[in-house]
Amino acid sequence: MPRATPVLGPAAVDVTLDVNGHARAIHIRPQRTLLDALREDLGLMGAKKVCDEGTCGACTVLVDGRPVYACMTLAVATAGRAVETVEGLAHDGGLHPVQEAFIAHDAFQCGFCTPGQIMSVVALLRARPDVTADDVKRAVTGNLCRCGAYPNIVAAALAAAKRKK
Amino acid sequence: MKPFAYVRAGSVAEAARLLGKGSAALAGGTDLIGLMKGGLAAPARLVDLTGIDGLRGWTRERGAGLRIGALTPLVELEESEGLARHLPIVREALADAATLQLRVMGTLGGNLLQRNRCWYFRDQAVPCWLKGGTRCFAVDGENAHHAIVGTDGGCNRVSPSDLAPALIAHDARVSLASARAARTIPLAELFTDPALHRREEHTIRPGEIVTQVVIPDSALQRRGTYVKAMDRKAWSFALVSVAAAARVRDGKLRDTRIVLGGVAPVPWRVEAAEREVDGQPYSDAVAARAADVLLADAHPLKDNGYKIPLAKELVRRALARLAAA
Amino acid sequence: MTKVVRTRVEFEGSVSEELALVQGEDAEPWAQGEELVIVGHPQRRVEGIAKVTGRARYTHDLRLPGMLHARMLRSPYPRARVRRVDPSKALALPGVRSVLHRFNAPKAAFRGEETIFREEVRFVGDEVAAVCADSEAIAEEALALISVDYEVLPHVVDLEEAIDEASPRIDEHGNVHDADRHERGDVRKAFKEADAVVEATYRTATQMHNSFETHGAVAVWDGDMLTVHESTQHIFGVRRGLQAALRIPYGRIRVVCDHMGGGFGSKGGVGKYSIVAALFARELGTPVRCVLDRHEENLAAGNRSATLQKVRIAAKGGRINAIAHDSWSNAGQGRWIADPTGPTKSLYDVPNVLTRSYRVLANTGSLAAFRAPGYVEGTFALECAIDELADRIGIDPLALRRLHAASDRDPISGLRYSLKRLVDCYDIGAQEIGWSRRRPKGLRASAPGLRRGLGMASQIWSGGGTPPAYATVHLNPDGTAVVRIGTQDIGTGTRTIVAQICAEALGIAMADVRVEIGDTDSPYAPISAGSLTVASIGPAIRLAAMDARDQLLDVAAGILEVSKAELRVEGGAVVSRGARTPIAKVFEELQNYTVIGKGARLPNSEELVLKTFGAHFAEVEVDPRTGEVVVDRVVAVHDVGRIVNPLTARSQVEGGVIQALGFALSEERVVDRPTGRVMTPGFESYKVPTVKDVPKIVVRFVDAPDTCANNTGTKGLGEPPIIPTAAAVANAVANALGIRVRTLPLTPQRVLDAVEAAPAAKGGEADRRGDRRS
Repeated sequence: MPRATPVLGPAAVDVTLDVNGHARAIHIRPQRTLLDALREDLGLMGAKKVCDEGTCGACTVLVDGRPVYACMTLAVATAGRAVETVEGLAHDGGLHPVQEAFIAHDAFQCGFCTPGQIMSVVALLRARPDVTADDVKRAVTGNLCRCGAYPNIVAAALAAAKRKK
Repeated sequence: MKPFAYVRAGSVAEAARLLGKGSAALAGGTDLIGLMKGGLAAPARLVDLTGIDGLRGWTRERGAGLRIGALTPLVELEESEGLARHLPIVREALADAATLQLRVMGTLGGNLLQRNRCWYFRDQAVPCWLKGGTRCFAVDGENAHHAIVGTDGGCNRVSPSDLAPALIAHDARVSLASARAARTIPLAELFTDPALHRREEHTIRPGEIVTQVVIPDSALQRRGTYVKAMDRKAWSFALVSVAAAARVRDGKLRDTRIVLGGVAPVPWRVEAAEREVDGQPYSDAVAARAADVLLADAHPLKDNGYKIPLAKELVRRALARLAAA
Repeated sequence: MTKVVRTRVEFEGSVSEELALVQGEDAEPWAQGEELVIVGHPQRRVEGIAKVTGRARYTHDLRLPGMLHARMLRSPYPRARVRRVDPSKALALPGVRSVLHRFNAPKAAFRGEETIFREEVRFVGDEVAAVCADSEAIAEEALALISVDYEVLPHVVDLEEAIDEASPRIDEHGNVHDADRHERGDVRKAFKEADAVVEATYRTATQMHNSFETHGAVAVWDGDMLTVHESTQHIFGVRRGLQAALRIPYGRIRVVCDHMGGGFGSKGGVGKYSIVAALFARELGTPVRCVLDRHEENLAAGNRSATLQKVRIAAKGGRINAIAHDSWSNAGQGRWIADPTGPTKSLYDVPNVLTRSYRVLANTGSLAAFRAPGYVEGTFALECAIDELADRIGIDPLALRRLHAASDRDPISGLRYSLKRLVDCYDIGAQEIGWSRRRPKGLRASAPGLRRGLGMASQIWSGGGTPPAYATVHLNPDGTAVVRIGTQDIGTGTRTIVAQICAEALGIAMADVRVEIGDTDSPYAPISAGSLTVASIGPAIRLAAMDARDQLLDVAAGILEVSKAELRVEGGAVVSRGARTPIAKVFEELQNYTVIGKGARLPNSEELVLKTFGAHFAEVEVDPRTGEVVVDRVVAVHDVGRIVNPLTARSQVEGGVIQALGFALSEERVVDRPTGRVMTPGFESYKVPTVKDVPKIVVRFVDAPDTCANNTGTKGLGEPPIIPTAAAVANAVANALGIRVRTLPLTPQRVLDAVEAAPAAKGGEADRRGDRRS
């Protein structure tokens, strides 16, 4: 029988998150969402707080490779799981192919939803490089864009997929 | 959100023990965290179930039916080719359910236990009956999305789950466990009968958790389909949805189940409607008779009368699709 | 030399006479066919890398040492008198620093009132008090601890209820106020003599901007110097608002907006949140952030007014002879309205027109300009009525429009347009959508039971730009340049366009231009609204760059000992008789020399009216059994002068179409009448389009520079693409169904209700089919 896990909180506790491959220790109360932990405790401002109620996708990050809404995820619950944010995509000064495709296809206007859109597309293309427009739409249905960059987002994702093949 | 303590349960027994008064079980959190942020829930302790082994995934054993662990993420149900062969309605019902992120986070158990989306209920400042107030604000208010049937003069919320009607159409049973006991009930009985006028949507008891959903072998013989009408092409709760399942031979439907979402406080099923269909060669007229029986007691409010023709059309569409397949 | 002149300025549909300064000489416009190397070619956004890496800093992202957080306490009642505020429990909460409310806040003028916390709160969400605390969470918790004694007053929230004489009168001057009237010709006579008259009532719902970055500000004092970082479309407007509220001089205020998460018209000036942040920051001596959450945004940050519009339209001799258009707009607590009758007055050459527009007060949040305010709503009513009239007299609706679209004069002033290519838009659009397939009873659908139809509508909008706008261009000795202008990029791509025009006019590469915008310490530029940005700032930037180039040539002439007339700048080098000298080389011996070019936008011609025109065509399929409308394709054609950046221009049009589809099909603010509460404060119930709601969108331009407009030949494009989409879709739905749904949005509920009310439309499948193929 596994040993009972200790009860954390309600006072602040030490939690170590794995963010973009780095162990990051923070001191938070259990009600801290992953989004607030990223933005307020770790200074990672890529994921945006737009609705804060799991409806828009601007806070989309990957947990164990899958896209989730960071605003509806408790940071304590992600301890021991791999969290990836838009800040972790570019390496050695080179952009991720999805990032490049977003620029080339003008897949954003104000840019506020963009980090979330990109993370959704990155997760999709990692799982299956061979995608159709419908696959892309399924992946980003939960990422609203008020500027209406959708046609270009789909085009960018398909172009990035083609490049990755 | 109010401060709370957090604990990860390692087993069903431990979870059940930890779920004392003032506690809430956390799985995907897609509804619970929203309720807490909205001031509609303030548990002192969250018991995270997601670390429990054995409640994730599905198995199919002849004689034991199809068992789906309550903690299985919706996306795994949706993407499983094997499950799609046994129970294709699940993939169909999930295709237009919420968004990918919510299906990644959300679990089967959480989907069945999600609370309703009535905008009066969801507004903390509105003292509606379900929240302990004296009346339903939708009756004289903005009720285009509300129930047309089965309210028994009470709460006009509608059942929001896409999976519940689909699973009920396959005679799903749901297993619940507490520190003291375990029980298995028809899934339909997980939803509180509106006629009881109780201020709760589910019959789950304090300290219980949902452990699995079981589809009996007999129901796996049925073909099923799910149709959903929304007021946007995606990312919407159903205006009306219809899950239908039947054994189909020679264009005749037998052993039919028709369950509606979005029209009543619970997944809406009227057995007499299914008898209108059973054994008949399919025709639009047969479907219309079934739909008439399903909605015989409908009493629309000011703005939701459109749900009647919409529901009738979706019933027709679902049955026609079954008959044609 | 500077000269003062009077000039006509058009902003969001209203024309006013303003003073303008004429400074310097204008340049010859870039001519049609002139070979430009950067302008007119697709260019990636210069801030692209910052935005895709998450590095772009928005107001929301600013975190300063010692920064505190302010939150607003908002009225739970649609109308009430605030009799007493007791903040003592909130102040006792650890981490709470201060509470402001009507009894202790300093006077701060805001939109014609003396205070930001009124005695009478007038909508659910109206500001009652503000809390400043160490964290947003503490501030939020403290809000619940402020005790307020409200005297609840009678209220009305619905437009038509507010018009009703029997409803509570919520303003001493009544609920309904005259806003605009226009009359030309003899409307009475024209209706009397008409061959056919259509009279119909149209309704549009309240649309909410839902910019992804909510309204917000961070205020910082350094001694008596205030810096406010704000998510705004108008940094100078915020500065003016802060000056009025806090009574401090311009020289002590700096407003900064780096990256900005959308505005769509709603971020035109200072907000109560900015003033509150500034007041707390001054009181507490540390930076203060005040940012709205999504629900607050949808209660108190503006909206597009719901409208009720009655249109009478008359035909005589196969032409439109008269239009009468009465319109009521729910302004909430707004002091103005965006007039929906603008298109009726100006779009078509119709001899007899009477329009009357009314502002209706209600206990809901104030309107704010929303992308082509008024014109989106009014175009829906006008263009539907024209289709209804065309149906009535049995003429193709596009053919009917053509009879009234060719005039080269503005029917209101009688002045000539600088350029009008509306008929070209019709030709291009009709060809692209296949308009010749249109039949009065719709097209053949893709499956039995479905209905398919075509519809179109036109747009007219301003967008000619205006002074004042100034730019400076600093040319560094290494040949790179910094262009500085006090505009802001709200997501439209302004930064890129600034770089393009500067690089083109200076003769250097875009990569060698750094764009500094979004700071009131830069030269003035107008609000990023009204589709006036490019045509206002473009000419000033071009002049500044030309000034810098001219000075560079002076230097080069001296250094290279060649006559200036023989020199030009090209690709970062000074060129003379085939010899290229890189700019850096020219300055080699003048190391720290900075060339400073200046440019000022000159007034528009007094003799010409500057407008943009366009037409959208929509093909839809409707399911009359489920009420579902599927828009298959939208063809958008616009006549907006020179296209500076074809890449971002296309995005702009697609975005406008998509936002308009939300307005047409799914977006609707719902307010509960008894409680006055907004039932749709978030994205679950307020339905903006998702990726799956987007049809195929074909974007075309009549890419002709308007050389009479300004020296760049540009006009605006921000608003035109949102204007005609809803009308085109509604006309296509009517064509498909044979039933006219006159209330937006066209939800399944409304379509089904209309179909149920017109049973003929449900059946008759067989006999309709024959017509369709005829």
